Amino acid sequence: MKPAKFDYVSPSTVEAAVEALVASNGEGKVLAGGQSLLPLLNFRMARPTILVDLNGIEGLSYIEDRGDRIAIGALTRHRELEHSPLIASKLPVMSAAMRHVAHLAIRNRGTIGGSLSHADPAAELPMLATFYDAKILVQGPSGRRTIGPEEFFVDALTNCLEPEEIVVEVEFPVLKQSGWAFEEVAHRFGDFALASIAVSVLHGPSGLEAAHVAVMGVADTPRRLKEAEQALVAMELDDRTPDRFSEVVVSQVSPNGDLHASADYRRHLLGQLAKRALQTALATKG
Amino acid sequence: MNSDRRAGPSDVLRPRNVGAPIKRTEDPRLLTGNGEYTADRKPDRPLHLAFLRSGQPHARIARIDTAAAQAAPGVSAVLTAEDIADDFKPVIPFSRMPSYYATPIVPLASGKVRYVGEAVVAVVATSRYLAEDALELIDVEYEPLGAISRAESAVVDDAPLLHEAAGTNVLIAREFKKGDVAADLKAAAVRVGGRFEMTRKAPLAMEPRSYTAEYDKRRDAITLYTSSNIPGIVRDAVSESLDLPGHRLRVVAPDVGGSFGSKGSLYPEELLICITARKLRRSVKWTADRLEDVSSSSQAFAEVVDAEMGFDKNGVATSLQADVIGDVGAYSIYPWTCGLEPVQVVSFLPGPYKIGSYRGAVRGVATCKPPTGPYRGVGRPIATFVAERLMDLGARALGIDPLEIRRRNLVRAEEFPYRIASGIIWDKTGFIECLEAAAEAAGYDQLRREQAEARNQGRLFGIGIASYAELTGIGSRIAVAPGMPINTGSETAKITIDSTGAITAAFGVASHGQGLETTLAQIVADDLGARFEDVRVIQGDSDEVPMSTGTYASRSAVLGGGAAKHAAKILQEKIQRVASHLLEANADDIEVTDGKAIVLGTDRMVTFKQIAKAVYSDMKTLPVDARDELSATYTYDPINGTTAAATHIAAVEIDPATCFVQILKFVVAEDCGRIINPMIVDGQVHGGVAQGIGAALLEELIYDEDGQLLTASLVDYVIPSAPEVPVMNVVHVESESAVTGGFRGMGEGGTIGAPAAIANAIADALSPLNIDISILPMTPERVFQLMEKAKPKSKGNADE
Repeated sequence: MKPAKFDYVSPSTVEAAVEALVASNGEGKVLAGGQSLLPLLNFRMARPTILVDLNGIEGLSYIEDRGDRIAIGALTRHRELEHSPLIASKLPVMSAAMRHVAHLAIRNRGTIGGSLSHADPAAELPMLATFYDAKILVQGPSGRRTIGPEEFFVDALTNCLEPEEIVVEVEFPVLKQSGWAFEEVAHRFGDFALASIAVSVLHGPSGLEAAHVAVMGVADTPRRLKEAEQALVAMELDDRTPDRFSEVVVSQVSPNGDLHASADYRRHLLGQLAKRALQTALATKG
Repeated sequence: MNSDRRAGPSDVLRPRNVGAPIKRTEDPRLLTGNGEYTADRKPDRPLHLAFLRSGQPHARIARIDTAAAQAAPGVSAVLTAEDIADDFKPVIPFSRMPSYYATPIVPLASGKVRYVGEAVVAVVATSRYLAEDALELIDVEYEPLGAISRAESAVVDDAPLLHEAAGTNVLIAREFKKGDVAADLKAAAVRVGGRFEMTRKAPLAMEPRSYTAEYDKRRDAITLYTSSNIPGIVRDAVSESLDLPGHRLRVVAPDVGGSFGSKGSLYPEELLICITARKLRRSVKWTADRLEDVSSSSQAFAEVVDAEMGFDKNGVATSLQADVIGDVGAYSIYPWTCGLEPVQVVSFLPGPYKIGSYRGAVRGVATCKPPTGPYRGVGRPIATFVAERLMDLGARALGIDPLEIRRRNLVRAEEFPYRIASGIIWDKTGFIECLEAAAEAAGYDQLRREQAEARNQGRLFGIGIASYAELTGIGSRIAVAPGMPINTGSETAKITIDSTGAITAAFGVASHGQGLETTLAQIVADDLGARFEDVRVIQGDSDEVPMSTGTYASRSAVLGGGAAKHAAKILQEKIQRVASHLLEANADDIEVTDGKAIVLGTDRMVTFKQIAKAVYSDMKTLPVDARDELSATYTYDPINGTTAAATHIAAVEIDPATCFVQILKFVVAEDCGRIINPMIVDGQVHGGVAQGIGAALLEELIYDEDGQLLTASLVDYVIPSAPEVPVMNVVHVESESAVTGGFRGMGEGGTIGAPAAIANAIADALSPLNIDISILPMTPERVFQLMEKAKPKSKGNADE
């Protein structure tokens, strides 16, 4: 299990990295944390002619407070997000979710730019980008552009980037919320999610004013459930609300079955997690 | 027993190493990265092997084109079955069993392939990278012959034959019978039964299989470094196959990173690497990657059992019958044969219970999968799963507590030795004592009260018990595998004090994680009268140790330990004789302890170093006839071997929201005889139970209808990690066995008891929903499906 032959460059600027990708004629691959790419190389499922290593580029790893937004550099490791007090106070759902990202060794190496680009439908960071409606900043030969998650995540393991484009930053809006929850079930702690949901709610003078709901593991991409959000805001708040919310969430997804879980089981899990998540989110009344 | 020597009074008085929780001697080197595994060998300019493996489950090899690969950079040779046809004799996994077909073992697929993952072509190159590059240039044309994916489909009349020469896909069939089962079942007050299944598993050692063949041009000799737990068997088999005498074929098992059975058979790659080294006159290396290890190492279980048990009205089991079909994969393995796993299911099915009549029939059926082979517990994990489920079903039908029904059926202290219905004889072992000790340690009555309370709250809380017995340290009267002609019944220890006074104890048994360097040294130190830290144990090197088959079947403490005690006593007597000359005292008055010989009741003494100097280096101190080499060799045969037993109790709770099973409590009470090192015994139990949790809840190799392995990586083949393994309470019921030293084997029990105990606990937890457990692993998906199926029924009950 050894990779096929490839060339390797370690540019010191994003511009040089983009140039190297342009020069590879679509045959190059970007190396960040390597946690998904290296197994693909070893299985020879990915056969780039050249690896463009971003790790030598200064200034791509940061967590920056921009008031109502938090900006995260593409090379920021999962472990930095997991332990950041700024993330804990401003993006608590992300903070809670990061504990579920694989294992310590992987969190030490893996990067946010890499995880989003890999676009695994059962990975936490793509789901968080969807949940927060993050802005993904990418750089290519003709400069920079910003992409929203719904456009970015095309399919399982497929993003919308051109071959020469590189994710450089992800900007997360700070949600106005009075309660939130993140729930995930995996075979073992650290495994890819069988089902997961993130919920945040904002209480108003009468009932809920706003809600954010996103799920993963139950479709080919992470999904924001806007209809469930609207339904939730419109609901009377009583003991039956979590059950009604759970039914709405389940009605919005049609998961596929695979080796790890059947479609029915995933739907069951998501329904249970939705109920539990909303109970938690509503319990912290602001 | 014939050759046993019980400890004398002074043995008991002396400070002892046996029984002490001494830290493992091997750990400092292993934990600091200073161990030497096979892949760490650095022979001069080695070549590297890579294998092109079949992607076809069953196909004729029409044509192999290796021209482009031969011309690829760095490639020394590309070998097919045709290229090596004259370099070896096939290895035959012979057995005297009737109704058995021994599939010949060859290094590369010849004529046809029989499973996905079978090696077809070997590339030899200057690096593994270049070898794998060249694999891509090989073109093999296959003519598909139809996959045989399941045992049930392999036995239908028009099924394609995997081995035409066998004339059938049933490679082995056997039946055990005692009494009139049909009549006893008919007369039974209660009959319980069902179809039980344990799915296919991977042994999954941390170190994948690895071989290095070091070629010695000077002597046309090979040293094979192998990650094997049977280096002695490998040496003899390779020697025979390659017609290479033992003094030109040295086989070494250096540090070995676990086996769990996967390194306990001869592998085609071991033959091929030696053939290649000899052919090219170069050293050659190969280490399986994880994909190769999972898809080409021997696998486990894959049995379906239709079983029925009859009880009288008092809950005494009177009768048992079972029909077992084992999916043994594509080949019979050497030396154990494909009968090893499935035949043991029927020979151990009655377990520790006094069941009057029995019929157990088994068929081992060839399918397009890697061979099944030894796996920690061999046959007994599923035998125990089935028997213990039946016990619980009987208890439920009769309204008897599961603990009580076992009390009524276990062989009791006064009834040993006891021959169970399948013919196995249990020697005196603490069956009942383990049951009672486990119940006490688990707080069984309190657990039942907690369960009642949990049920009142609507929670799914269950308690499961499993009792089992196993044969360990088997001597020459019983073949480890049915009808197998290899001597697995004895082991030799050779203990030497050299001219510097250093003590070396050489054993053929080969540790692959058991800590034998520590435990055997504890025994030698005590029985020789040496200091523990002065004893060096060497193993697993055919040039350095006595002939041996290796470490498997929970034998090394009993056979190696027994040999150590006898050899140490003989050497101690030699020391006493020399010391009596040096100290001018009667040999009987000399006590040997702490590396010194002392005249009893005096301060006159000589050290081992002084004794060695007198024997080897001085010309005048001793008369010639007293200068006998300070060395002793003893071959120990425990004849029958000895029984080991345990009771496992698990308490679980099932979360109806996630369908996950959480193990709340796990207790093991085990009788492994006299304990050599309690820390190592605890570690063996912990590890075995962890593995059993994998079998009970997580691990499953899934092959699709086309014979493709769908769970070939550790993402898809899910094994327990630390959070899935609970803290365990291990109780030792230390009843000395009748073999030398009073030891019993204890390397396998954890995997035997845990799956059954957990299955019974899950069934107990789900019993309010009328759900039975008959297949393992009980994954969350399976729990979900069972609960879904039970839903309308339980709703109906609630409405009544």
